[in-house]
Amino acid sequence: MASDHLLELNDIEAGYGRAALVLRGLTVKVPAGSVVCLVGPNGAGKSTVLKVASGMLAPRSGSIVVDGEDVTGAGPQSMIRHGLSHVLQGHSVFKEMTVAENVSLGAYTVKDKAQVQERVEFVKNLFPVVADRWAALAGALSGGQQKQVEFARSLMVSPKVVLLDEPSMGLDPKTTSVVFEQVVRMREAGIAVLLVEQNARRALETADIGCVLDLGRVHITGPAPELLEDPQLAELYLGGGGARSADPAEDPTPSGARSPELSSPAPERT
Amino acid sequence: MTALITQAVILGILLGGLYALLAAGLTLYFGVMRVVMIAHSAFLILAAYLAWAFNRATGIDPLFSLVATVPLFFLLGVVMQRFLLSRLKPATLTMMSVLLTFAIALIIEGMLGFVWTGTQRRISLSYSTASLEVFGANIAVVKLVAFGLAAVSLLALYLLMKATSFGQALRATIQHKEAAALLGIDTEKVAGYGFGLGLATAAIGGTALALDSTIYPSLHWHWIGPLMAIIVVGGLGSIPGAAIAALVLGLSQSLLQIPLGTTWAQTVFYLALFITLMVRPQGFFGGRLAQRF
Repeated sequence: MASDHLLELNDIEAGYGRAALVLRGLTVKVPAGSVVCLVGPNGAGKSTVLKVASGMLAPRSGSIVVDGEDVTGAGPQSMIRHGLSHVLQGHSVFKEMTVAENVSLGAYTVKDKAQVQERVEFVKNLFPVVADRWAALAGALSGGQQKQVEFARSLMVSPKVVLLDEPSMGLDPKTTSVVFEQVVRMREAGIAVLLVEQNARRALETADIGCVLDLGRVHITGPAPELLEDPQLAELYLGGGGARSADPAEDPTPSGARSPELSSPAPERT
Repeated sequence: MTALITQAVILGILLGGLYALLAAGLTLYFGVMRVVMIAHSAFLILAAYLAWAFNRATGIDPLFSLVATVPLFFLLGVVMQRFLLSRLKPATLTMMSVLLTFAIALIIEGMLGFVWTGTQRRISLSYSTASLEVFGANIAVVKLVAFGLAAVSLLALYLLMKATSFGQALRATIQHKEAAALLGIDTEKVAGYGFGLGLATAAIGGTALALDSTIYPSLHWHWIGPLMAIIVVGGLGSIPGAAIAALVLGLSQSLLQIPLGTTWAQTVFYLALFITLMVRPQGFFGGRLAQRF
C-alpha cells in the first residue's frame, strides 16, 4: 500500500568507510508534490542524506521507503527504477557532450523510445534553455544553464522524487534565482523535491517543509514559512536578523558556518 | 629529391595512421580509468605473434586471425580490469597501474620467448614484396593494407563511441563517473568494456604491425616510448588528440629519416615529449578537445 510520503528515510545511521557516523538516527519524509529542504551548517550531513537516498551510500541501519516500498540497501540503478533521481552539487554535466546527448543519457535506463521522446518534449518545455541550446556543447553553457541541463537530465526517467544537492553552489545571485524558479516549476509539474542548500533563507522561501540538520540529526522539522519566521533559527542558521524578505541579490550570505550545537532538539512541528 | 619527399610524406601518413590506432587503446585506458598501460605494446607484439603463428599453421592470410584475436583480447581486457586493475586503490591507481602493467609486459615477453624462442620472425605473404605507385612514389602494399586496417578500425571506434548507447555511456563515464553512475550506468562494467575495447585495438594494431615488421619478444620496449609520447603530446585521455599527434609525429619521423636516418629520426618522439612537458603539459590537443570523441 502506498504511503502518504513518496520518500521516507527512517532512523538512518550512515558514514563513510570505517569513519565515525555522519548521520545518527536521521528521519526525513518527503510528501508527494512538495519541496522539502534540508538546511544546516557545514558537516551536518546534508549531502550524505542525499547519497543515502540515491543508493550511493548504504546506510548502516535504518530504512529507506519509496512510495510504500522498502528499498533499503538498493544501489543507484535500482533507486532510479524506484523513482529517485539525484543531481549532484557543483557542475556535473558531461561537458564535452552536447545538451542533447546529456539529456538523452538521462534516459539511459529507459528502453521505450516513444517514452524517451515524450520526456524530451517535457523537459524542453519545462526548461526552455535546454530547447534553445539543444545542439550546443554542454561545457560551453553558463553555470546556471548547465544546472538546468542537469535538472532536465534528472527528469528524463519520470522520477517521483528529485534529490537536489546545493543547486545554487557557485552561481551568482541572479542565476540562483533562476535556478530556484526551476525548482518551483518542478513542483508545479508534480515532482517532489528533496533539496539540500547552503543558502538556507532562499531554500526555505522555496520549500514547503524545512528540516534543520546538525551533527547528523534532524533537530527541527516544520512548514518552511514558519521556520523562516523563527527568530532563534534566523539567528543560528539564516545569518541573523530575524525573518525578512530575502532577495538573494541582497542577501546571498549562506549559513555555512558551524552553529553552536543545539543542546536540546526543538520539538517537531509537523 | 621531390620524389623522395613525396615518398616520405606518403609513408609518414601511412605510418601515422598505424600509430594512431596503436595509441588509441593506450589513451582510452587512461581516459576511462586513469591507468597507464605499459603492457599495451606487449599485447601488440602478442597479437603480432598470434597472427604470425596463425599464418604459419594454416597458410591463411594473417588478417583472418583477427576473427579470434579481437574477441580474445577484448575478453582479456575485461578480465584484467575486473580482477586486477579495479582492485588497485583509487588514490594511487595511476602510479600502481604502471607497476602492475609493467609486470604484465614482462610476463608476456617471457611467455613469448618461452613458446616461440627469441628468434626474429617475419610473415611472408604473396603480396609482401608487392608495391604500388602512388603520386610517383613506390609504396609497399603491406603498408597500405596496415593503414587501411587502422583507418577502418578508427572509423569503427569513432562510430561506436558516437552513435551507440555503450559509446555514450563510456564517454559519460570518462567525463564524470559519479554523475554517470547516478544515471543508472554501471560504470564498473562500462570501464571493463572500455578496457576490453582498448585491448581489442591492440589485437588489430599488432596484426597490422605483423604484416610489415620483423617481430621478437622484446620488441614492445621499442614501441612503448613513442606511443606514450604520442598520447602525452595529444593530451592524455583524448582519442582525437592522439590521432592528430600520431599523424604529425609519424609524418615528422618519416621526413626526418631523409637527412638523419632511421635511428635519429626516432628521437622526434622524445623531443616532442620533452617540449610538450615543458610548454604544454596537458598536451597540444588536450583541454577542450580532451575526452571528446
